Amino acid sequence: MAPLSPLVRPGRDLRVDFLRGLALWFIFIDHTPGNLLGDFTLRNVAFSDATEAFVLLAGFAAGIAYGRTMEREGWLHAAARVMGRAGTLYVAHIFLFVVFTAQVGYSAAALDQAAYLDELQLDPFTQAPYRALLEALLLRFQPAFLDILPLYIALLALFALCLPAIRHPGWMLAGSAALYGAARAFDLSPTLWTGADWYFNPLAWQLLFAIGVWLGRADPDALRRRFPWNRWLAALALLLLAAGAAALLLGRFGTAQGIELPEWLGAGLAGIDKASLHPARLASVLLLCWLIAQLLPAGAGWLNGRLAGLFILMGQQSLPVFCAGIALSFLGRLALEVSAGPAMQIAVNLLGLAASVGIGALAAWYGNTGRRKPASLPEAAPLANVSA
Amino acid sequence: MSRWVVLPLLAMLLGGQPAARAAPAEGPGCGAPPEAMDALPLPGTRAAIGRGTLRVMVVGSASAQSGGTSSPAATWPERLSRLITERLPGVSVEVRVFGQRGSTAAEHSRILAEQGPGFRPHLLVWQLGTVEAARGLSADDMAETVQETVARIRAARGERTDVVLMDPQFSRFLRANADVEAYRDKLRLAAMASGAQLFSRWAIMKHWAEQERIDLERAPRGQRTAVADTLHDCLARALVEFIVDGTR
Repeated sequence: MAPLSPLVRPGRDLRVDFLRGLALWFIFIDHTPGNLLGDFTLRNVAFSDATEAFVLLAGFAAGIAYGRTMEREGWLHAAARVMGRAGTLYVAHIFLFVVFTAQVGYSAAALDQAAYLDELQLDPFTQAPYRALLEALLLRFQPAFLDILPLYIALLALFALCLPAIRHPGWMLAGSAALYGAARAFDLSPTLWTGADWYFNPLAWQLLFAIGVWLGRADPDALRRRFPWNRWLAALALLLLAAGAAALLLGRFGTAQGIELPEWLGAGLAGIDKASLHPARLASVLLLCWLIAQLLPAGAGWLNGRLAGLFILMGQQSLPVFCAGIALSFLGRLALEVSAGPAMQIAVNLLGLAASVGIGALAAWYGNTGRRKPASLPEAAPLANVSA
Repeated sequence: MSRWVVLPLLAMLLGGQPAARAAPAEGPGCGAPPEAMDALPLPGTRAAIGRGTLRVMVVGSASAQSGGTSSPAATWPERLSRLITERLPGVSVEVRVFGQRGSTAAEHSRILAEQGPGFRPHLLVWQLGTVEAARGLSADDMAETVQETVARIRAARGERTDVVLMDPQFSRFLRANADVEAYRDKLRLAAMASGAQLFSRWAIMKHWAEQERIDLERAPRGQRTAVADTLHDCLARALVEFIVDGTR
């Protein structure tokens, strides 16, 4: 692992990269149903899950990167760069869509489930192949597990449009919150070709992204003054998160344990929708974010350790690692379809993590060598010293 | 690149050889996990049994209609009718099945509104979730439909009708290609929210598949119908245990 450390970019807030890497790993796990680790990811004990963390941190990174471009080169340049990123995501999404379609066909054949496939209409390609392809290109056909990238693409497109607003953070947040409220109150959402809403409504989720942008743009010291450490507030936050965890676990295992639960608890839990980012999910991720920012010091020693380094590397190369993770989760699902025993569980998770780290290392190495012109080589020297 | 080749190969190696699996198991309910057959009280069903007439309404999609069995008589609702009669001699049981292949919770809700008042069931077994999961329909909408429908039934029938929700069949294929867990979670919560109960077919079938007792997906083609018959019979047996537990 030691050879990986030069690939980690120093100087940034490593906590953000670490958490982003962790979120990517959880997304891989949550995208391989049947994976036993899936019982231990964030979604089991919090209203929010890796998707919220991913979107918040994506906003954070976008705020830093494109905010700077915006200041130096203006709206047009910054927007062009954001849209370039969205374009890359779009191509990646279409690639993953093709992989997914092949996977469905393969696993139907492997389990001899052609009749099942037809009945369940999991395979619109048999009924309307050209239409399905067109709708996929329009992001109006989103198969299961391929719903995060369309959201991310839509968020970036919105961001490109609203870039000038980052100069007025207060107005940006107010506008974003108003859109969120309107989307939830009036059920505003882009629709799929089936007439159903998108799995992740970008008009609602943009609030979390905007909060990330705002946090990324803000001066860390000013943020610290604005949201200072308060023991009672922290205790309250922990209490709320613990109550949420208890409610989720009771909802999941209570009945099987013979505990009769009140109907209001079930109704409350059932009402927490993910599609339009229910306020409980939003509160959950923001509370977690505040607690982590307070309790985990930026210079914590273990962040420079080897294990943390793996996740930091993944987090710093989030796009290729995310796409690879989704592609790998297809393979993981196929593997778990064949067998879900202990040997396969270990193989899927080890290979999945190793491949994600490998892709991250490859992307970091390629990015470093590709961008660094010979003239800038001397600049690289101190970096090597830092990480050595 | 080698990873892309190695993983499926590894999958084949670790997977072992699928064999014919249809060994009807010992124990009540074909050896289904006991906690899956634990029911909370079913007062409507209990009172009906006391009076000697039990009307059971089954609403569902494909598996309630045929599900690959040798004949309609071998499906779980039909088997349920027979098994309750055997188990509770002297009680006249009438099971009626509604719904069709590919029908959704919203369609079931309409059927319940139209047919429920005439039939006045003491027990409603509502099988749903598979079609929603497979087509990627909204799990939130499904949960809302269930809550509203059950509330409507309770408003009209009070404790005279018990509602039992039945989740999808366990399937590795479905699990790999649709986000089934999200729908199972919502069904569990919707049941909890509305005072209905959940009979987890998924958990039971997963147990049988892991025990290599009944595994429809891995059954060789020639034996599939026989395995489906066993499966439906055993599901009905497990459901009878659930009902008996709830009416004790």
